[in-house]
Amino acid sequence: MSESLNFLDPSVLSGLSNLELRARTVVEGFLSGLHKSPNRGFSVEFNDYRHYQRGDDMRHVDWKLYARSDKFYIKQYEDETNVRVVILLDVSASMDYTSGSVSKLNYGITLASALAYFIMRQRDAVGLITFDDEVQEYIPAKCRQPHLMRILRTLAHVESGNKTNAVKPLSDLAASLHKKSMVILISDLLDDEERVINTLQNLRGMGNDVIAFHLMDEAELKFPFNEASEFVDMENQETYITSPAAIREAYLENLNEYLSFCKKKCQRSGVDYCLLNTSEPLDEALSAYMTKRARSF
Amino acid sequence: MVFLTPIFLLGLLAALIPIAIHLIRREKPPKVMFSTIRFLKKTSKKLVLFQQLQQIALLLLRAAVIVLLVIAFARPLFNQSVARLVDADPQSAVILLDVSMSMRYGDTFERAREEALDIIGRMGGGDEVALVTFSDSAQLVRELDTDIASVRALINEVDAPGYGSTRFYPNLRLADQLLETAQFDNRAVYLISDFQDTGMQDADESWKLAPGIALTTIDVGEVESVNLALTDVRSPEQLLEDAAEQQILARVRSTGTVYRDAGEVSLSINGQMVDRVQVDLGERSEEVVTFSSLFEAEGTYTGEVRVSGDGYSDDNAFYFTVDVLPKIRVLVVNGEASENWFDDEGHWFGLAVGGTDASPFDLQSVESSQLSAAALRQSDVAVLLNVGDLTNGQADAITTYVEQGGSLLIAPGDRVEPEVFNRQFAEITPASLQRPTGRIDDYLVIADYDRRHPVLRPLVGDWTARFEGHWPMQARDDAAVLMQFDNTEPALVERDYGQGKVMLFASTLDLEWNNLALQGLYLPFVHETLRHLVQTDVRQRAYAVGDTINLDTQGSAASVSARNPSGSDIRLVDNAVFTATTPGFVTATIDGNEARYAVNFLPEESNLARVAPATLYDAVINPDTSPIQSREVQTAQMIEELERPQRMWWYILVAVMLLILAEAVIANRTYR
Repeated sequence: MSESLNFLDPSVLSGLSNLELRARTVVEGFLSGLHKSPNRGFSVEFNDYRHYQRGDDMRHVDWKLYARSDKFYIKQYEDETNVRVVILLDVSASMDYTSGSVSKLNYGITLASALAYFIMRQRDAVGLITFDDEVQEYIPAKCRQPHLMRILRTLAHVESGNKTNAVKPLSDLAASLHKKSMVILISDLLDDEERVINTLQNLRGMGNDVIAFHLMDEAELKFPFNEASEFVDMENQETYITSPAAIREAYLENLNEYLSFCKKKCQRSGVDYCLLNTSEPLDEALSAYMTKRARSF
Repeated sequence: MVFLTPIFLLGLLAALIPIAIHLIRREKPPKVMFSTIRFLKKTSKKLVLFQQLQQIALLLLRAAVIVLLVIAFARPLFNQSVARLVDADPQSAVILLDVSMSMRYGDTFERAREEALDIIGRMGGGDEVALVTFSDSAQLVRELDTDIASVRALINEVDAPGYGSTRFYPNLRLADQLLETAQFDNRAVYLISDFQDTGMQDADESWKLAPGIALTTIDVGEVESVNLALTDVRSPEQLLEDAAEQQILARVRSTGTVYRDAGEVSLSINGQMVDRVQVDLGERSEEVVTFSSLFEAEGTYTGEVRVSGDGYSDDNAFYFTVDVLPKIRVLVVNGEASENWFDDEGHWFGLAVGGTDASPFDLQSVESSQLSAAALRQSDVAVLLNVGDLTNGQADAITTYVEQGGSLLIAPGDRVEPEVFNRQFAEITPASLQRPTGRIDDYLVIADYDRRHPVLRPLVGDWTARFEGHWPMQARDDAAVLMQFDNTEPALVERDYGQGKVMLFASTLDLEWNNLALQGLYLPFVHETLRHLVQTDVRQRAYAVGDTINLDTQGSAASVSARNPSGSDIRLVDNAVFTATTPGFVTATIDGNEARYAVNFLPEESNLARVAPATLYDAVINPDTSPIQSREVQTAQMIEELERPQRMWWYILVAVMLLILAEAVIANRTYR
């Protein structure tokens, strides 16, 4: 378990330049720790036969063919896509912040890649939307293998943008969804969080499952600064000179109030909320997805 | 309050360290890119304001801590506490406060007053102190007294300096005498002065203060002074009417420590400016300015020479008076008148007295038969030239004339009978004539004369006249022999009679008995003799500050009053005497007649050159006087004794100070 966790460490993952490799590392590492999970196996549509091999599940033996040929054949099924997952990745300027080796954006890209890989591995359809105050990239949800590569290529070339405005992409998405889907929002939510969560609530009300991954940097959560400094807002370049030691308590109080609001608001709205510290491994995010996926389907 | 170690007060500069740290580190805080500042901006404004106030309060606290530490290093003590300790040895002190004219320069005297008050402030309860103000004379304001508060009040009431000159030695002697009666052994003299160099006049090198008397010199003089002074003005005191144009000379000198080479000198007569001259001293120390003026009409003129262009006005004016008198009326009684000039007894005398139109004499010549009391009354002086035939009535008239104030000059010749002369002029003659007792084969000359007499004082020279004839004279006891022949017989005798004066010459004033009329001294001798006979009551009109002026020298005036230059009445002593205190014109009214007197400052006070106080100290301090007797040294010694065993404080305080400085640095590094 500890070995797999090492592979999920963001700082280790950030050293992997190939995004597919990074996503696979995350997913395989995660799955190796879940080999006894009861949620595994969910194929639906017949595709081919193969000879029975020891260890195969007896439920998948084609008994009619056995009656005709006296041989055990295992029915192989083509996975049926019954879930459409759309990943929304916030690429605004604030996502570029980092106090260590991994920025929130990099962490989000890795998370999105892993989720896409994981979803495709389960034969679900996955799409991608990157946005700041506008939709930057839109890839519709599909389940074919080349589609994953497209998503990964898109993620590999993501650059940070402008100010965050998640409301508009989410509204556009809500208008385009015709089937029950799962919406995964990866963002630092440094926007008008109440409107964003209201929009997520609308998506939830349309029958979609919604997961909000709220990314926060370690420094944002603990505000470890000491020396008097001029703080520059990365999104609007506004500045503020202060002595952190004097206001740390007030900052953390304001932050916790904000985080608490986000969490409660999401809970009330039926949105799964997951606060992620970018200095911690990704398995928590994947667990959250798996839990949600199992509960929904 | 005093400090035991005041050198540490320099450490107050260390209070700037926290401020410097605050200011240096305040500049350019580092920029930090952050995802959002929304949570920073939501922090309370009060919190930020409080934080700023906290910083300022912290800064002030640190600076205050350093200041207090530095003060602690300096070891403050209340002066009274040290004074109480020193009071165990009470002091008898004399404060000598200079009030000479030079102390009027700028605010010198106010500084002197402050110094005196400062000395009083350091006096303890058991001390006794005397106050003396001095210039060329001293005024004992308060004898030795333990009532310090009253002395303080007296110092505040001391009048501004007058116009006296400075003298140190007489006043130090006075202080020395005052301290002879001092209660305490600890005796001190405080000399507060501008230490004008002229104050060292009358120095007595053999005199010292008594042993044990400490001297503290307090110099309040200006280091740099600028002054143009009138050190001398020469003007005629008395003139006869219709006199020629007179010259008035003024000597201007730069007497300050800073040389001033230019100024303006003006002359005013009777309040009207008559001339003005620019003075350029150049590289010279002084310049003589010449004014010309006419004094034609009879009367008294007041003149003022004033210099301007410096910063010290008290010595810029010099005052003088000029008395213009009427011509002297001379009545000559010619005892041997003749149409032939060589036989005329009055020929040579007439040439000497009335030879020119500009003569100051109005000459009337009569023969003896024409002499009358009326003619005498119309003359100021009567001259008898070889007159031997006067009637007794004429002689009585002459006697009355002299008694009532007339003057008489007698030059007897061969027409005079000694017995008749001695009888007719017995009352008034200064000497009796004697008949010659033997034959005189040789001539006589003037062997000796009174060089101090007003007539003969300006006639210093060789009296080479030969006297082949003369009258031997027996001078009266109340007469003064002014000239003697070489045979010791009197040649000129003078006597006052009544209100008049009589002079008797032993020979003639023509060439009959001597050749004096051919000598160069003849004319001035005649002129000076006549002037002297007429102006017997020449009043002194020019005085200096500090002089005593007697307005009625003869004591005959019925009413005398006087006003000083400012117009206020002068209080007279013995109805006629006062001491001049202020430069300017004193106006006196004597029996209804007004007279003006010029009073001037002493030129030496214009010299602002200074003497080093140490020079005076070395000159007067007694070698047996221990210097530790002074209050200052006692206090310093007491402070040293208090401070020495407690120096451990220094090291403790140094450690505390270093710790606090470190805290200031570290705190700024951590919290800012």
